[in-house]
Amino acid sequence: MKLNTKDLISAALLIGLAAIGLWLNQDHNLGTARRMGPGYMPMLVFWLQIILGGIVLFFGLFNGPDPLDDWSPAEIGFLIGGTVAGVAAGMICAHIPGFLSSGWNPLGIGLFVGCMVISIPPGWRALFLPSAAFTLFGLVLEPLGFIVAITVTVIVSALADQEHLDRPLGVVGLCAFLCALCWAIFIYYLDIRVPLWPQL
Amino acid sequence: MELIANLAHGFGVALTLNNLLFCLIGCIIGTAIGVLPGIGPVATISLLLPITFGQPATTAIIMLAGIYYGAQYGGSTTAILLNLPGEVSSVVTTLEGYKMARNGRAGAALTIAAVGSFFAGCVSTVLVAASGPLLTSVALSFGPADYFSLMLLGLIISAVLAQGSVVKSIGMVVFGVALGLVGTDVQTGQQRFTFGIPELSDGIGFVSIAMGMFGIAEIILNLEKPEARSVMSGKVGSLMMTREEVKRATPAVLRGTAVGSLLGILPGGGAALASFGSYMMERKVSKGRHEFGTGAIEGVAGPEAANNAASQTSFIPLLTLGIPANAVMALMVGALIIQGIQPGPRMVEAQPDLFWGLIASMWVGNLMLLVINLPMIGVWVKLLAVPYRHMYPSILIFCAIGVYSLSNNVFDVYQTVFFGLFGYMCSKLRLEPAPMLIGFVLGPMMEEHLRRAMLLSRGDPMVFVQRPISAVMLAIGALALGAMLMPNIRKGKDKALQE
Repeated sequence: MKLNTKDLISAALLIGLAAIGLWLNQDHNLGTARRMGPGYMPMLVFWLQIILGGIVLFFGLFNGPDPLDDWSPAEIGFLIGGTVAGVAAGMICAHIPGFLSSGWNPLGIGLFVGCMVISIPPGWRALFLPSAAFTLFGLVLEPLGFIVAITVTVIVSALADQEHLDRPLGVVGLCAFLCALCWAIFIYYLDIRVPLWPQL
Repeated sequence: MELIANLAHGFGVALTLNNLLFCLIGCIIGTAIGVLPGIGPVATISLLLPITFGQPATTAIIMLAGIYYGAQYGGSTTAILLNLPGEVSSVVTTLEGYKMARNGRAGAALTIAAVGSFFAGCVSTVLVAASGPLLTSVALSFGPADYFSLMLLGLIISAVLAQGSVVKSIGMVVFGVALGLVGTDVQTGQQRFTFGIPELSDGIGFVSIAMGMFGIAEIILNLEKPEARSVMSGKVGSLMMTREEVKRATPAVLRGTAVGSLLGILPGGGAALASFGSYMMERKVSKGRHEFGTGAIEGVAGPEAANNAASQTSFIPLLTLGIPANAVMALMVGALIIQGIQPGPRMVEAQPDLFWGLIASMWVGNLMLLVINLPMIGVWVKLLAVPYRHMYPSILIFCAIGVYSLSNNVFDVYQTVFFGLFGYMCSKLRLEPAPMLIGFVLGPMMEEHLRRAMLLSRGDPMVFVQRPISAVMLAIGALALGAMLMPNIRKGKDKALQE
């Protein structure tokens, strides 16, 4: 047996997602082949996906080895810890009245906290710091405005690259350049409806 | 004669000031991202989709198309001068092009790449114009069963031609179709898989998926790799080709145009496949085949003509049948739908401005690209001096603002982050994102045609093999899948795609 780790995980992903889909699909009326209900096509699609996942699984047992990149124990620990922290942060925020629980903020805060916690070990920074920066943009844009959102997003995403840390002046320049460019394109030319400065 | 009248109408549309401007912008952006490794046309087009919504549909598509074929021009420049393919479709150009540059013939290689692309662009423009109305009249006789089978065929071939395992790619196609089903069921109005989230009742945001899986996931993958950029030291030399070079390159350009036009129309095909195909062909049949590996001009002329031809003919299935041949065309479908235009055979008649204007703009755009590229090569090469660490925060910001401005809703921003992480995971597991995107776009249409076909046939699935058009499509699909079971063909494909 030469296990193909990548294929086995792919198969688990395909089958798992399809199984969840089938479970959710129980709410929908299947109808008949002649008059298909809302649940008919999803049923076909998910069963097909399970069959395909099964084929990938079967061949994955023999056509390896194809291991994943090595993860250090710290990386695995922070991945799990970050996920837990993110979910917890989101759920706590959802119960605090005010800014923290309004709109999609609990989702955004949870996502941001999770990504930042996972970014503590250096191996994850390239992956989760840009994701955190992107989330932060969504969190900050409406309350603090366009300019602040661009600035914090650039700063957090810049942390993902070592050279930026060595030359912080370059990041300042980049912020100024992007604020000016995005103002010109999105506010001046396209006239999108966002606050430019903090809403006090 | 009708063709000429239509083309004249198209030029009337393409030559308005606004459309010319956006065609030029598209071509310039396309050339720039073609030169820059680390950002491709799929990511760029999904990035710029929101910006185009304020424009009329024709202008938007003209600009987005310009990005796609512009990238084919730009990709060759760095491939030849720096041995650095800016795009997947110019990977093979590095093989002979860079050798030519080392031999001091960089100028000639750049010239034939640009002129060959221009020639191929002109031919394939005519091809799109001629075949459009023809295919459209065929397509109008399609019933729902035929449409369903045609889309199925498109999905199968896009999976078969994707890199890596065919089964996994089909799995991704199917998952894409499933994602496409999220939202309100058209016939009953029931909410499916929305978890009570109102933002999902219109379906998952197309732009979020495209930006996440292609924009953000690509940034992350590029950040993980150490940056490898060299700066050009040698000189470009004279742009003129010798008489001998012209004689050798001409048939290669002709063959490349033919191969590229064909492979572009194929579902799942596109620029990258075409340039590989043409390179393989030149290595076998051209007169200079014994010189391959030492800087044979055929190895530049053929593939460069082919990738440009293919990038334009891949619009044919989109414009006539409403079926995207590759991920870029799936983005075009998204752009059209958001503009309120349903791609399909009725588009030629219902949207003559769009159809003929786009075709005319392709020719205009090719002319622009010739001018943008040849005399200004130095400017484009300087673009490589911009380090990736300055590029990626900019891309991120553009994605974020763009996705937010779609409906002024931060939910779309968070959704994009999820798809970014998912896209990263997929690429680590060698699950291809492109087939998924095509499945996502075609999923809802397939469901509708399947339901209609089954209603008409009173629930008898045999209708799919009884109708001749449908039966032929299914047979071709089965053949393509069957071919992948043969170890020889599969190995050949892997070799062709990985080289």
